[in-house]
Amino acid sequence: MFAITPNILASFMNSLSRYIILLSLILISVSIFLIIFLENDYYQGISFKIMFIHVPTAWLSLAIFLVMGISSIVGLIFKSPTAFTVARSLSPIGLIMSIIVLVTGSIWGNLTWGAYWVWDARLTSMLILAFIYLGHILLLYSFEHFQKADFAASVLAIIGLVNLPIVKFSVDWWTTLHQESSVLRIGGPSMTNDYLITLLVSFFGIFMLTIYWFSNIFYIIVEKRKIERSKLLND
Amino acid sequence: MRIIKLNNQIKKRFIFLLIIFGCFSASIFLISYSLKDQIAYFVEPTDIKSMDGIENKYLRVGGLVKKDSLKFLDGNWVFEVVDQNQNSVNVVFSKTLPNLVEENKGIIVEGKFIDNIFVAEIVLAKHDENYMPQSAIDKLKEEGKWRGN
Repeated sequence: MFAITPNILASFMNSLSRYIILLSLILISVSIFLIIFLENDYYQGISFKIMFIHVPTAWLSLAIFLVMGISSIVGLIFKSPTAFTVARSLSPIGLIMSIIVLVTGSIWGNLTWGAYWVWDARLTSMLILAFIYLGHILLLYSFEHFQKADFAASVLAIIGLVNLPIVKFSVDWWTTLHQESSVLRIGGPSMTNDYLITLLVSFFGIFMLTIYWFSNIFYIIVEKRKIERSKLLND
Repeated sequence: MRIIKLNNQIKKRFIFLLIIFGCFSASIFLISYSLKDQIAYFVEPTDIKSMDGIENKYLRVGGLVKKDSLKFLDGNWVFEVVDQNQNSVNVVFSKTLPNLVEENKGIIVEGKFIDNIFVAEIVLAKHDENYMPQSAIDKLKEEGKWRGN
């Protein structure tokens, strides 16, 4: 497992990336088609269609942080450069995802609740997650040597893991304005199958796009380091 | 010899991380447990019964708008907020209600009690976790399984 160097992983993902982006574009087009022709919610009307971007990006922003945290643990314990590079290339994607979640959520909130923003547990913990992503990126770029930056950022990512169950279960532990989970809940999804299928297609489309995006960032970081190393050798 | 040394280092780092992570999550748990009442966004009418000194205290009450209680009287919206235990709070609101406030639907009112009537300053509609099209509801109504209004 630890024989996987960043170079090997980058070239492996690079060889698959064209299929991943193709699959992602197909899934996203199908989901846009499904979303347009889907019957409106009986109560919210057309504004419920924001869900098909809000929920997948929310899941992904949590999942990306989980992967980031685990690879930071692996990186710190086994001093694995691959794991550090994985964490390094995931945080910008996670930041963008959590910003999309907050923006789409507040648009939906204004249409449904009557307020763009309230300080309830779910919304606040999601904002904290976005700030941790931002802090991770800032730490990565505030050191001259990337090994030091990786170390500092990994500690932040591991501490930030504590926030993940708080985001996920805030709606169950405390009373919040945000509603409880509709899909990942005890007793099965509380939405009809046509909505659920559309949501899953949209999720896998955005998920594949995320993997494509991740592999590109990873590749760029690896190539950049190669150039820097050859420069050092030439000097 | 080298492998044993490396394993020891890995073990040390693992334990170190475990201790840091454990301490941090324990502190977060203690903070959020002791601030439980502050983190909660609203209280239910049942909680209010056991609270004392609520007169003139700014708070949020959440529940469902009671059926057949939503009325527009003398330029004010008047309704009752009810929870699962059938305890209710009388609410007066003088501004425009959000679009999605309906009877038997979730609501959160923000304001204070004056003479046992809750004078709301902000009203938010609380959406539940159910999503379905009108056709699915018509089907449920045909089968006699629909429990809404």
